[in-house]
This record gives sequence, C-alpha cells and structure tokens, in this order.
Amino acid sequence: MSTSGLKAIAPVPTAADFLDIVLSKTQRKTPTVIHKNFKISRIRNFYMRKVKFTQDSFDEKDLHPFLSSLMNVLYDKNHYKLALGQLRTARHLIDHVAKDYVRLLKFGDSLYRCKQLKRAALGRMATIMRRQKDPLAYLEQVRQHISRLPSIDPNTRTLLICGYPNVGKSSFINKVTRADVDVQPYAFTTKSLFVGHLDYKYLRWQVIDTPGILDHPLEEMNTIEMQSITALAHLKSCVLYFMDLSEQCGYTVEVQCKLFHSIKPLFSGKPTVLVINKIDVTRLEDLTSETRALVQEIIDIDGVQCVHVSCYSEEGVMDLKNKACDALLAQRVDAKLKGSKINTIINRIHVAQPKPRDGVVREPFVPEAIRLRKKYDKNDPDRRKLERDIELEEGGAGVYNISLKKNYILANDEWKNDIIPEIMDGKNIADFIDPDIAEKLEALEREEEVLEAEGFYDDHEDMFDSDDERDAAAAKVALGHKSEAQSKKKMKNKARLPRTAGLRSLTDLTADLTKAGLDPSRVQERAVMIAKMRGAAHKRKRDENEDGMDVDDEHDGHESATEIAGAREGESETMDVDEEEGKEDGTPRKRGKANSGGVIARKHAPRSNRQLMGLRDEAQASKALRLRNLGQRGRNMLAKAGESDRAIRVKMPKHLFSGKRKAGKTNRR
Amino acid sequence: MATRLQFENSNDVGVFSKLTNSYCLVAIQGSTNFYSTFEAELHDVIPIVHTSIGGTRIVGRLTAGNRHGLLVPSSTTDQELQHIRNALPDSVALQRVEERLSALGNVIASNDHVALVHPDIDRETEEIIADVLKVEVFRQTIADNVLVGSYCAITNQGGLVHPKTSVQDQDELSSLLQVPLVAGTVNRGSDVLGAGLVVNDWCAFTGLDTTATEISVIEATFKLQGQNSSAVVGEMRDALIDSWA
Repeated sequence: MSTSGLKAIAPVPTAADFLDIVLSKTQRKTPTVIHKNFKISRIRNFYMRKVKFTQDSFDEKDLHPFLSSLMNVLYDKNHYKLALGQLRTARHLIDHVAKDYVRLLKFGDSLYRCKQLKRAALGRMATIMRRQKDPLAYLEQVRQHISRLPSIDPNTRTLLICGYPNVGKSSFINKVTRADVDVQPYAFTTKSLFVGHLDYKYLRWQVIDTPGILDHPLEEMNTIEMQSITALAHLKSCVLYFMDLSEQCGYTVEVQCKLFHSIKPLFSGKPTVLVINKIDVTRLEDLTSETRALVQEIIDIDGVQCVHVSCYSEEGVMDLKNKACDALLAQRVDAKLKGSKINTIINRIHVAQPKPRDGVVREPFVPEAIRLRKKYDKNDPDRRKLERDIELEEGGAGVYNISLKKNYILANDEWKNDIIPEIMDGKNIADFIDPDIAEKLEALEREEEVLEAEGFYDDHEDMFDSDDERDAAAAKVALGHKSEAQSKKKMKNKARLPRTAGLRSLTDLTADLTKAGLDPSRVQERAVMIAKMRGAAHKRKRDENEDGMDVDDEHDGHESATEIAGAREGESETMDVDEEEGKEDGTPRKRGKANSGGVIARKHAPRSNRQLMGLRDEAQASKALRLRNLGQRGRNMLAKAGESDRAIRVKMPKHLFSGKRKAGKTNRR
Repeated sequence: MATRLQFENSNDVGVFSKLTNSYCLVAIQGSTNFYSTFEAELHDVIPIVHTSIGGTRIVGRLTAGNRHGLLVPSSTTDQELQHIRNALPDSVALQRVEERLSALGNVIASNDHVALVHPDIDRETEEIIADVLKVEVFRQTIADNVLVGSYCAITNQGGLVHPKTSVQDQDELSSLLQVPLVAGTVNRGSDVLGAGLVVNDWCAFTGLDTTATEISVIEATFKLQGQNSSAVVGEMRDALIDSWA
C-alpha cells in the first residue's frame, strides 16, 4: 500500500493502442531491409528476430505495471485477479504462437514464404491481444482508482479504528486529527479508508478510519467492508475496536461482541484497545449483568486494554490516544531492540557524562537579563520593535538600508556616525590605530634617552631613520663608484695632461734658465719682441673694425639676406671668415706675404642691396621675404631645388620597400 | 528555547551567524528577516552585530569565539575589524589570527572553558586561542573528522556531536569538555552540526528543516527550556529508537 509505488503505475493502454504500440515498436527496433538474394539463413534469422521481438514486446507491456501485489490488498481481488489472469493467459498464448512460428520459419525456403510466416505470426498475436480489450480497460480503471486513494504508509506507526457502522469511529478520528471525515447518523457513512495524522511523543502517528463491518462470513462481505478487513490483515498497527453500549447505532452489544470474536484472529500480534464509546449516554455499569459479562469477557482477553470514551463530551479521548500510542510504541521498540539495526544507533541514545578531571568548576553563563526578559510575541501590541518592523515601515527589503553603526558601543554616542577614511596621504589609517600609542611612544623615547646617555650614537655616523634613507645613501655610494669607473674609461683616449699644464710664463723661464747657469737675455729679448708684434696686430685689427663701420653694417644686412638665399653665397661667407681668422692668428699667410704690404684684399661688396630695391621700407621688405618663403615651403618639403626641379631620384627606395614592415614603418626605416 | 530559521532559503544558519554568551555575529543580507529572528530572542541582552568577514557572508564558519573573545581570520579587512571592535563591548577581546586554516569556525569548537581544535593548527594559533578565549585547548577529532568546529556544537551546558561518534569517543570528549555530550543531527539528518545549529547557554537557532525530534534532542542536550540531557535516555528514548531504527 505504499502509495508512491501505486501512483507510479504506468497507464494501461486499450487493446487497439496496445497493438499499435507493439507493432510500431517492432518495426522501429528491428532491421527492416531484406533482399531475396540474401542467403536463406539470413532471411530466416531476419524474420525469426521480428517474431521473437514482437513476442517480447507483448510480454513486457503486459504485466509489468501490475506485478506490484500490494494492490491485491485494497482492490476487489476476484475481478482484478481475473483480469490479470486473462492477460497472463494471453501472454502464454502469444508465447506459444511465437514459438510455433519460429520453428516454422526455420524451414522457410524463400524470402516470400518467410515473410508470409512472419505476417501470420504477428497477425495471430494481434488477434489474441485484441480479445483482451475488456480486461485492459478494466485494469486501467483500477489503476486510476488506486491513484486516488489516500496515501497510507504501511510501515509507520498506525492506529487502526474499526467496529460496527455508526459506533463513532469517524467522530474519534475527527477529534484527534485534522482529517475532517464526514460524520452522519446513518450506517456506512464512511465508504473507504480515511487517513489522519497526529503528533505524540515527538513522533508522527497515522490514524486510519475504516468503514464499518457487519458480522457475517468473509465471502458475503461487500467491497466496502473488505477494505477494512484487508487493512486489518496487512497493516502492523494498534487496533482500536469501537463499541457502542447505548445501542444507538442500531446493533446490540451482543452482536458487537460477536464481531470482535469473529475478527479476533486479525488482531493477533497487535496491541488492541477495546473502546467503549458514547459513555455520556451509557456506561459499562449501566448494562445488564449478561451483556456486561459479554463485554467483560473481551476485556479479560490477554493483551486487550479497555478505555471509556465519549467523543461527544471529549471525555477520555486524549487518554485513549495516549494509551493506544504508548502500547504501539512499546511494542515497536521491543521489536526494534531485537533487530540488528539498533546497533547502528546505540551511540545516539547515549548521554556521555563527564568524568571530573580537575577541581575546576565550569559554570554556565546565563545573563540575569534573560530571566527577567519577557518572551517576544509577534501578536503582542506592545512588542519590541524589531529591525524587520522598521524595514516594513520604510518600504520593505531592498529599499530600506540598515545602519550598521546604529548599535555601536562607544564612549560618546555622537561618534557613532563619524566617518573615518580608509586611506590618508597614501597610508592605511588602520596601520596607525593603536590604543596604547602614547605609552609606546613614551617608552621609545625613554629608551632613546638611555641610549643617547650611553653614547650609543657617538661612534656611528651612518644612522638612518628609515629604510628609505639607508637605501638612498647606498645608492649614492654606488653612483660614485660607477661614475669613477666610467671616467677612467673615458680617459683612455684623452691626453693625460691638460693643454694649460705646460704653459709657463717668461719670468719662470728666465728664472729657471738663470738657475741652470744660462743667460736668458736673448730669449727674453725675442719674447718681448714677439709680444709686441702680437700686440700691434691686435691693435690694428681693432682700428680697422672701427673704420669700416658702414661697410660692416651693409655686410651684415647682406649676410642675413644670404643666409636663407642659397648655399653658394654662404660658402663665400665662410671663406671670408676664414681669411679674417687667419689674420687674427697672426700667422703670416702666403698671399699676405706676396702682397708684401701686409694689406689683404677684401671681398668686394655691392654698395646697394638689390633685393631691397623698390621696397618702401623694412616692414614691406620683411613681408615680401615672408611671402616668398611661404611660396617655397611646398617645394622645400619635397626637397626640390626650385620650380624647375622635377627630378624623381629613386622610384622605390630599396630600404623602404624590402623586408617585413610592422606598423609605422612605411616611411621610415 | 530553540528557534527554527533560514538564511535566504539555506538551512545552514551556523554558516551565516555566530552565537556566544556575550555577542552574536550575523551576516549582512538584503532583508532583515534573519537578523530580526535573532533580535527577537536576544535584543537588549547581548549585542547582535551585522558584519562580513573578508567581504564574505560566511561569518559563522570563518570566526571562532566565546564569551571572552572573538578570533577572526587574516582575511578580515581593517574596516571590518574596526566595525566589530566598535560593536562589541570592551570585555570581549578581538584578535585577528594569521592561520593557514583560515576557516576558524570549522577548525575550532569552544565553549567558555574548553576548546577543541583541528590537529594541524599552528602552535602560535593555539597559544592565541588559549589567551584570547581564556580556554584550555585540546587537539581532537570528532568521529575521525578533523573539522571539529563543523561536526559539533558545544556550550557550557552540553554538546551535540557528529551522529557517528562512537560511545567511547563521546565519553572521552565529554571528559575533556566537562559537559554531557549527545550524538545527534540537525536539519532532517544533516551531520554538520556546526553549520546547522548555533547555540549558547540559553537559546538555540537551527535550520528550518530541523524535525521535532531533532529539536527535542537539541533542547534536552543544551538544557534549554528546563529540559535535561538525561531526557535523551529517559522519556525520549522510545521515540528516538522508533524514529531512527
């Protein structure tokens, strides 16, 4: 009766559907291509396979969902069994047909005959199946009905309520569970099994209300009564046999007692409670002595408890529930303690008590506030306002933003919402937070004083405040070494002595000569003469510069114009300078000597600058110059000499077009 | 009093909260439901601190603590540390621990007097635990699991250990901890008690899936609501056998 199994029963198809399903499955799942030129053995095998597969499909489809024998308990056995039996017969028939035709196929001598045999085999199987139309339809109904039954767990703790119709069975289940079974003052109000649940002793109990039973032989019982009987027979439960001593149900006490005795065999091995119901109307004491003796006879049976109950006044209802549950629990626990599974949970029903290992008392810590505190009740109008209530008022989750700083415990409540930056001046503030910083600083200073007093710092020149400073000092030293090495290398190609190192004055020379015992007078004379000559040459040049002011000026203007004009004129200019420099040196030049007057011919300069002719003033000239330069810019950028320079020197410069080029290398290599 | 609750559809409330006798840490969440469940039971008694640890919400598994102190892992940020410090009273010491096994809640199980720790924990960490939490420290396993913090929940009143802990182990652990121990489950048979249950000396919070039987074992074990741990072998014994065997 495990309903999860029952609900999972596959639907039963009708006979026609069944045939379609099986034949199409055969077509789908066996090879389909065959040729008459194939070997006959292959053809035979091909068709034998088809026949056998069809047979298997019928078998598989057939009984598999109904193998669950649990259904027998609840359903009308005879009809159901009959239907199943018919199906089983059909299956056997199909098996025989398949066997026969497979045998025949072994002697098939052509494709055509094999095919005909297969057709005949499948046809006969289909005919057999078609005859099973009614049983299949019936079984589908059964399945649908079963899936609607209440979910009864056969293995759990169960209280089973039984008795004559109308003795108050359903009233009781309504009192102890929330099953809400229909209660009416006529017999057979309850026509099928009903299930309710109750909680007792930390456990969940299942209460099953059964339809009333009349006292007659088993064969004469109808389906409704049979449900009660099957439940009684198959469920391991605590049986509550209800009796109505007031006889309001319409059955005498005698009859009710007789029923108990006739179904007593079903109670064997189960805790049984005899429930005397409706005690608000009639009690056991109110009965006549004969009937009372009948009831007493039942009560005296071993293993039967008697409880007096009134579902109307609720007297004894809880007592009945507790007694029934306790009896069943005790029985189940006894059974389980004998089983092997108990060993796996023995550690869980054990409380390890500590052995004292020292004299220390380890007290629990429960604040006094807990004992005085009123328990929170969400229906109390003066209840504490929780964060959740505030959230609801402020717009609900996602809108309300809880302040995490609200409950800070600080010396001053105003500090709660102070914002402390995380990083300041590139430093993590938290690295510097230290409640004892003042004391630590003081200690450090004291230590420093001691060190200073001991003269720790006197002989240490390089004391650094931080790693950075130490690094900087080290880097400086390294740099010194490096530059020294580099300068040494540089010196390799240079003169060891500077030019000025050998210069000596005339006085030094004469002194040295005199010391050496030589007469310096001749040397001295010559030196004085040379110095005079040099002085004279220098003076002459200065005079000339002052005389030729005009010319120089003109020459300067010409220079500035020619600087841009072209290379040839620039060349002559440099030659000019050279000549003058030659004169400055005082070294006599060949041309100078040839002229013998010492006067050097100067380059002729025109009196007027033709480039400035026709221009009004300096501003106009400079503007013209600028415009000309502008006109030349384009040519200059293409490195053309002038308007007429149309030369294309190299069409594809090799260096720009050979090899792989990466980005940005098109014009430059 | 044992309360059933959920954290965003998760039954592992011990992952997202930490409860001791002097404070309670709760993970930050979009709504205030989880927080308010604690608030209803604990407000005005002990501070309840909304916090993250290292930016995560698994505060219960990352921290370890008791009435005297709180240990947080090295992943805790300076801001979080400051926040927790501000929210806890001065009587609770707060210490960041440089430990390789950084899920301190999984490797340390402690009440106010004794702590069980993972056998591979650092020697320095062990000293810190002893100093900050003011406890005796024992390196132990529970039912051959090294994660002692995950597989047990202990208070000064009692302790619940992994359901597969043998009777001998229970007795040994009980003598170390000097509290009665019971083997049990939470959240409909989950053996990770540390994750499914937060408990202190007067109240407990468990996952929403916890069954009535489990709740009653918890209440008996931790002596909540006037229950006593002997109830497990007394009045509840039959019910326990019937539901488990």
